[in-house]
Amino acid sequence: MEAVLKNLASTVEMLAVAAQSDAVNHWDKQTLSRAFHWARYCEHVFSRFHNNAAIRRIMEKQLQLTNQTLRDTIPGYTEVSFSDLPRCQHLLLVRLLNNPELPSSLMKILFDTTRPVKTMHGDYEDVTGLCSHIVQCKSVYKVLSPLADMSALGADAEVQGEMLMERLEALLNQGSETCRAEQFLGSVLQGCEGALQQFCLVIAAALLTSKSCTAQTAAHDFLLDWLQKKHSLLQYMCSLLSPTLLKDLAKEHQKLRDASCNVLKKWASEMEYSLSDGEWVLTSTGPGVSFKKLTELFLALFDASPSLRGDVEKELNALKISDGDFDVTGLSVWGDLLSALNM
Amino acid sequence: MSEQQPLSQPLQTEEPLLNDQEMQFWLDKAVAWGQADSPDTQKDTCLHMSRLRDFLHQLLTQVNSMSSTTETMKRLPFLGQLLGQLCWNPYVTVCDTSRGLLLGCLWGLYSERPSNAVEKKANQWIRKVLCQLSTEEDETAAQALMKCTGVPAKEYHLKVLRKKVALLQENVGQSCTLFNSQRCSCDRIVDISEACIPIVTCPEASSLISLLLQRPVACVTEGLSEDFLNALTSAYSRQGLALEEQALVSLWYHSFSSLEEAVLSLLQSVITTGLTPQKLEQQVAQSLLPKACAQHCSIFLVVNDIFRSILKQAEGNESVKTLVQTFTKCFLRELALLKPQTSISVKAFFPQSPSSLLVPLLTMPSEMPQGAWRNHLNWLSSSLQRLTEEEEEGDGRSTRGHHNVFEAWFLLVQCAHWVQVAVQLLVTSGTEDGDPFLWLLIFYHYPTKRWHHRASQLARAKEAWNHIRTLFSGAAHPLPSDRLQSLGTLVSPQPEQQSFAPSLTVSLLVNVAVFCQLPPSGSAEVLQAVVDQSGLLDEAACVLSSLELRLNEGCCLSRDTVHLRIKELQKTITQMHSE
Repeated sequence: MEAVLKNLASTVEMLAVAAQSDAVNHWDKQTLSRAFHWARYCEHVFSRFHNNAAIRRIMEKQLQLTNQTLRDTIPGYTEVSFSDLPRCQHLLLVRLLNNPELPSSLMKILFDTTRPVKTMHGDYEDVTGLCSHIVQCKSVYKVLSPLADMSALGADAEVQGEMLMERLEALLNQGSETCRAEQFLGSVLQGCEGALQQFCLVIAAALLTSKSCTAQTAAHDFLLDWLQKKHSLLQYMCSLLSPTLLKDLAKEHQKLRDASCNVLKKWASEMEYSLSDGEWVLTSTGPGVSFKKLTELFLALFDASPSLRGDVEKELNALKISDGDFDVTGLSVWGDLLSALNM
Repeated sequence: MSEQQPLSQPLQTEEPLLNDQEMQFWLDKAVAWGQADSPDTQKDTCLHMSRLRDFLHQLLTQVNSMSSTTETMKRLPFLGQLLGQLCWNPYVTVCDTSRGLLLGCLWGLYSERPSNAVEKKANQWIRKVLCQLSTEEDETAAQALMKCTGVPAKEYHLKVLRKKVALLQENVGQSCTLFNSQRCSCDRIVDISEACIPIVTCPEASSLISLLLQRPVACVTEGLSEDFLNALTSAYSRQGLALEEQALVSLWYHSFSSLEEAVLSLLQSVITTGLTPQKLEQQVAQSLLPKACAQHCSIFLVVNDIFRSILKQAEGNESVKTLVQTFTKCFLRELALLKPQTSISVKAFFPQSPSSLLVPLLTMPSEMPQGAWRNHLNWLSSSLQRLTEEEEEGDGRSTRGHHNVFEAWFLLVQCAHWVQVAVQLLVTSGTEDGDPFLWLLIFYHYPTKRWHHRASQLARAKEAWNHIRTLFSGAAHPLPSDRLQSLGTLVSPQPEQQSFAPSLTVSLLVNVAVFCQLPPSGSAEVLQAVVDQSGLLDEAACVLSSLELRLNEGCCLSRDTVHLRIKELQKTITQMHSE
C-alpha cells in the first residue's frame, strides 16, 4: 500500500509538472508514454479501491497532503482529488496540451493521423495518434448525429443517463452512504447549470434504463425521491417532456406518475381563462404548459395507467362541482379539462 | 500587416501561387458549410470532398516550400482563416487523409523558433486549436457528467458513438413499413447510407455499413445510394476497408462496378503469375466470388458475361480458359453446399447454354462409371459437330447459329474436365476410333475456325498425334530425330504460319507420356527430348500438374505404373527447370 501511495503522489506531481512546468520541454516520446502509463495506473488504482472505504480514505489523505505541498510551491495549482483519478489520462492530456512548453514534436506524435498501431514502445503503450483518434471519433459522431433514429431522447442523453445510473448504483452499493449519492446528484445538477433542459433529458433517460437488477431498482427509487424533493426541477421536467416520453416514464415508475399528476393538477389550478386567446393560460412565471399540452400530458398518464383515469375523473368532477358545476367553457378549468379529456 | 520589401531578390522568380480565386472559393465554401447544417450542406460537403483533398494537398506542398511562417502568411493571407474553418468541419476531420493534410498545413504554419510577434501568435493559435479540437466539450451537461461520474472523455465519446450506431442499426433492421402513410421507411435508409459516405473506412461504422448492405431488398424504393456504393467500392479496392464475407457479397450484389472490379482483379492475379492448378483453385476460392455466385444467380451471370467478353477477344488464351474451368468447378462446389436451401434449377445459372448439352457437360466424370465415358464423349462430340454444321449450313452471316456455337463452346470451356478426359481416352484407346475425341479437342482449341480450316487442323492434329505416338511406342531407340524435328517444327511458331495449338500438342504429349507402355525412365527421356526441341517446358509442367490433380481427386485410376511415371516425369521437368 505504501508503494501505491507513493506512486499516486508521484503521478499527481507529474500532472502538476505537465500542467505548468517548462520541464516538459525536455520530454521525449518515451517520457510521454511513461507519463500516460502512470496516469493509467492511477485509473486502475481507483477502479480497484474506490469501493473500499478504508483504503479510499487513506488515499484521499495522501492526495490531500500532496495537493497541499504542490499548492504551496506552485502558484495557480489545480488540485487533483480522488474522484478525478478515473480520468487521469484525460487530465494529463488537457494539462499537456494547455502547456505552451510542450514540444511540437510531441504534439505531432499525439496528432499523428496514420492509424495508431497499439505497439509497446519500450515498456509502455504507444500514445501515437491518441488525439487524432479522439478527433476522429467525435467527427464520426457529428456526421451521424443529424440522422433520425429510434430514440426519443438522443444517443447522448441515453449514454449520459446510463453513466448517471452506473455511478448512482455504485455509490448506493457502498452501504449507508446515501449522503454521497445526494452529493453526487447535487454536483451533477450544479454542473448542468445553464443546461437544465439537457439535465432533465438525462434524468428521464436514467429513469428509463431497463431494470435488470435490484440494485438498479434501488437507484431508480433514490433518484425519484431526490427528484420529488426538487419541486421546481420536477415541474420543469414535466413541461419539457413529450407526452410519449411521459407515458413511458409513468409506466415504469408509479412515484413519478403520481408526482407528475400532481404537477399537472397544480398547473390546472393556476390557470386563468384569457378572453383574448379564447383559452386557459398559465400566468405564473416559471416553467409551464399550454392547456392543449396539459390535456395531452394527462392523456399520456392515463395511457400509462388506466386506473389513474378513474381516480382523476372523480377528483376533477368534485372540483368542478365546487366551482359551480356549470357546463359553460371558460368558467371552470376543471369542467373544461373534463370535456377536453372526454370524460 | 506592413509590407516588407524583400531586400535583394530582384531576379527571384516567384513560384506560381495557388490561384487566388481558388482560395477564395474554398474559403467561401468552408464558411458556408460552417454556418448551416442542413442535409443540403452535408451533400454539398461530400460532393466536394475529393476536390478539397486535392486542394489541401496543393496547399501543403506550397506551405512546405515556404521558408518561414511570415512568408506563408504574406503569400497566402487567407490560409489561417480557411484552416480555422475546416478544423471544425466534421466531414473534413473524419477522414484520415483530409485530417492529415489539414494538420500538415497547420504544422506548416508552426515555427519552431518564432522570429517575430506574428509567428509567436500563429504558434499560440495553432496550439489552442489543437487543444480545443481534442479536449473541448460543447455540451455542458456532458462535461458535468464526465467530471462527476469519472468517465474520461475518450471513453464517453466512444460510448456515444456506439450508442448512435446501435440506434441507427435498429432503424436499418426494421423491415419496410409505411411511415406516416406517405413514404415508406426505406427512404430513411437512403439517407443513412448517404450519411455513411464520408465514414466508410471508419471501423466504428463498419457494423452499420454491413447491416445496410445486407438488408433484404423489400420494396421498390432504391435502398442504397449509388454514391454510397461507389465510395465502398473505391475504398475496398484501395484496401482501406475491411468487410466481412456476407457484407462483401452484398456489396457485389448491389454494385455492378464493384463486382466487375473484383473479377478483373482476380483475373489479373492469376493470369500474370504462373500458378499450379492447386494454387489457382485456392486463389479462386479465396476470392469469395464462387460463393457469391452460388448465393446470387445474378452475380454468376455477370461474372460469366465478363469471362465471355474476354474469351471472345482471346479464345486461345489458355490461362483464361483454365481460370473459367476452375471457377466453374469452385462455383458448382459452393452451389452443392447450398443446394438443400435453394430450389433454383441449374438452368437458371446457364440460361444461354444449349439445354441439351447442359446436364451432360456439367456432370463430372467421377459421377459416372468409367466405362460410360467413351459413349458419353462420343455423344458430346457428335452433338457439338452437329451444332457447328448447322451454323455453317445456314447463312454465313447468321448470328443465331454463331451464337449457339459460341455458347456451346463456352459451356465446354466451363466444363473442360471432359476435354481432359477426351485426351486421356484418345491416348489410351489403342485401335479404337479416336477421331471424335480429336475433333472435340480441335473444337476446344479452335472454336471459330470454319469447316475447311477445321478439316486442315484435324489433319495437322492427326499428324502430330502420329509423331507423338511413334516416339512413345518404344519401337525406335534411339529416338528418330526426324520425327522429333517434324514435331518440333509443327509446334514451334514459324514466321509464316501460326503454330499449331501448342496447348493441344502438349496435352497429347503429356498424356501419352503418362499412359504409355514405356517404363517411367523411358517415358521421361522421350518427353525431355520433345520438350527440348519445342521449348514447351512450362506448359508441360502445368498439364502434368492438372492431370495429377484430376487423377488424385475423384478418378478411379490407381495404377501404380501411372503414378510412377508421373513422378518420374515431374522429376525430369523439375530438373529441366533448374538448368
